[in-house]
Amino acid sequence: MEKSQYKLCIEVLRKLYNAGVLKHIILIGSWCMPFYKTYFAGIRYMPSIKTRDMDLLISRPLKTSKKIDIPELLKSIGFIVGFKGSQGYIKLEHPDLVIEFLVPEKGRGTDKPYQLPQLGLNAQALRFLNFLITNIIHVKIEDISVALPHPANFALHKLIIFQRRKNPEKVAKDRDAAIRILNALIDKGEIGVIRDVYNSIPQKWQIKVMQGLEKAEADKILAVMK
Amino acid sequence: MGVIKGVLREELENSLQMKKDYERELAKLPKGSLVKKVIKGHEYYYLLLRDAGKVKFIYKGKVSEKEIKKYKEAKRLRAKYRKLLSQVKKQIKFLRSSLRGKESV
Repeated sequence: MEKSQYKLCIEVLRKLYNAGVLKHIILIGSWCMPFYKTYFAGIRYMPSIKTRDMDLLISRPLKTSKKIDIPELLKSIGFIVGFKGSQGYIKLEHPDLVIEFLVPEKGRGTDKPYQLPQLGLNAQALRFLNFLITNIIHVKIEDISVALPHPANFALHKLIIFQRRKNPEKVAKDRDAAIRILNALIDKGEIGVIRDVYNSIPQKWQIKVMQGLEKAEADKILAVMK
Repeated sequence: MGVIKGVLREELENSLQMKKDYERELAKLPKGSLVKKVIKGHEYYYLLLRDAGKVKFIYKGKVSEKEIKKYKEAKRLRAKYRKLLSQVKKQIKFLRSSLRGKESV
């Protein structure tokens, strides 16, 4: 399944790229982990376990007036529209991949879906996602340039959100992902980058990050951060 | 181990939902496929479908290009969705057996 899943992921990215919509999308979530391999080339880095869920973060407001019906675009490769939760967030389903769409939450926040009529979709607004947009990297996957959050932002974001999770297994998964990436960044000699990203976030978040590291008993990383 | 079990459980929930969604999409597709017959040099179409285990030809006469395209697309999607639905069913079987253990799931 792994091979076909990867192939399908590339096919999705290619379709979005060809339609001219990929430039408005950042790949986030556990699917970033295998793609960070390129960034960590030459360093011991093992991506952690990932689910079929592929999270696509869309910039808000969407800076295009071009209409691209994404569900229709991906229908030809077998994706169907499904709905998540009682609010009716759209997800695109395939046995090998489930695509979910997210936008950064603004203001007080609401659990109502954020409508994206240009893309024929809606998206779920979540807190802290802006932090992932502020510092992005581009990696070449086959011949497509894909935007991902900088690993430092990705890891610190995971450290903040794992403490908000209720499901213990998801807590462990997020914590594990954060620690793996921070260790890889340290091995790559990017301690300065971790510190810069850490210093750029509000103090409340910094406290959360430190609490997260303490809970994870990540002494090596804590020593670097202090 | 907890992480793996959690991921498997999440995937099982996804697959069960996906099974329902593929079945819903299959039910939405127009039933049958168009068959062209040439009678005395004229083209006529029949809708070929199975009804209560019997194969039926329903006379449609001359149909528009749009209608032909619609049935062709439905035929292609039906084949694709059936294949994917069978894949989902296999996943459910696999995930259930992977999760079946001493602990209750």
